[in-house]
Amino acid sequence: MSQEPRQTRQQRREAARAARVEAEHAQAAAAQRRRRLMTLGGVLAAAAVVVVVAIVVSSGGGGDKASERAAAATKTSGAIPGQKESSEMLAGIPQKGIYLGKADAPVRLVEFADLQCPICREYSLQSLPVLVQDYVRTGKVRMEFRNLSFLGDDSITAGQAASAAAKQNKLWNFADVLYYNQGEENTGYVTPQFIDRINKAAGVDAAEADAFAKTPASREPLGAANTLANQYGVNSTPTILVGKRGGTLKAVDADATDVGAYKSAIDALLGQT
Amino acid sequence: MTASGAAGGERSTPGELRRAGAADRRLRLAAIVLALVGLGIAAYLTYVHYEEIRPVCGLGGDCVKVQSSEWSKLAGIPVAVLGLVGYAIILASLFVPGEEALIVGALTALVGFGFSAYLTYRELFTIDAICQWCVASAIVMTLLAILTTSRLLLAPGDHQRGALPYVG
Repeated sequence: MSQEPRQTRQQRREAARAARVEAEHAQAAAAQRRRRLMTLGGVLAAAAVVVVVAIVVSSGGGGDKASERAAAATKTSGAIPGQKESSEMLAGIPQKGIYLGKADAPVRLVEFADLQCPICREYSLQSLPVLVQDYVRTGKVRMEFRNLSFLGDDSITAGQAASAAAKQNKLWNFADVLYYNQGEENTGYVTPQFIDRINKAAGVDAAEADAFAKTPASREPLGAANTLANQYGVNSTPTILVGKRGGTLKAVDADATDVGAYKSAIDALLGQT
Repeated sequence: MTASGAAGGERSTPGELRRAGAADRRLRLAAIVLALVGLGIAAYLTYVHYEEIRPVCGLGGDCVKVQSSEWSKLAGIPVAVLGLVGYAIILASLFVPGEEALIVGALTALVGFGFSAYLTYRELFTIDAICQWCVASAIVMTLLAILTTSRLLLAPGDHQRGALPYVG
């Protein structure tokens, strides 16, 4: 039998050193794993806190009127979406044709919109209620709705129905409820049944409106809106023009939901009156 | 220098380190690709938001409904912009060496994942519409959360990196 060669002192020292280094590495690796797990725990906790705060801010932001309306627009249960909100927003405010508010209001606000336009919907659901509450209800601003109807056939169908609602002095209710129920652009969603639902929710006499919407006269306001748009160089929707009553109008350069910008423009005019 | 001279033998620590380093490089590369994809999605959504144009939205989704909903903004800031900033931070963290960068990357991705999950819930159960871009971003952010968390746990530590060609 052969005997294993005996290790020299040098070899034993190297082996011991290698074992020690390996043990140190193992210890360091274990310590690092513990530290990393603790770090991960901290990161997870911090992330959870940030997400919870973001969710609270996101949900809490819905406390104001505009956000409540926007949230209501997303609900599909119960009555027609927006019926209650539109009726509340406009209750008691005089309407005549395309106009909303008192005729002697010192400031005029003209909205160029297409009922199919999604950004017009944003303006209508988020900025409009604030402006109506603060300026129209208080008699400072008179609004007018100019229906451009340029996005497609559904725009024209909706535009003619809007003209019929205007004839009954219910245009603003009609437009607002329609925005709540706006569908995918040019998919043919503006059917007679759709219009009928919007009319009923807006308090429009549906039979009378339907009869008028089929006449050429229902297209006239759309043509007039186009003429006015050309006059003011309006080439996109929504475009909001403001000016003193009887004075010239100027476009407000603002995001559809930047209600502060609209308020500033109106306040500036009110300061001049 | 490598530690092979010290450890020697079949259970070589340098071998493990090299494998850990290689795995970390793969995770990092995948994270860079995903962060760039996420950055592209967020940039597109930010662009359509500010240009006020309709995003391309197929497969029966309704991106406009989602983008014009109450939940498209957080404290007045469009979530697309928040996504853009989040992806930019994650991407930047992938080019900075050190454990702090790993922590920042993982924290940002986990926050993004949590908030994306919340927004997806809102899309499905409150807004009742789906925006494919948002879903794609949520998936990218989920994968980034997995990758960056894995890196935070598995990447070679600062004390080990001296022994390895670390690309970080």
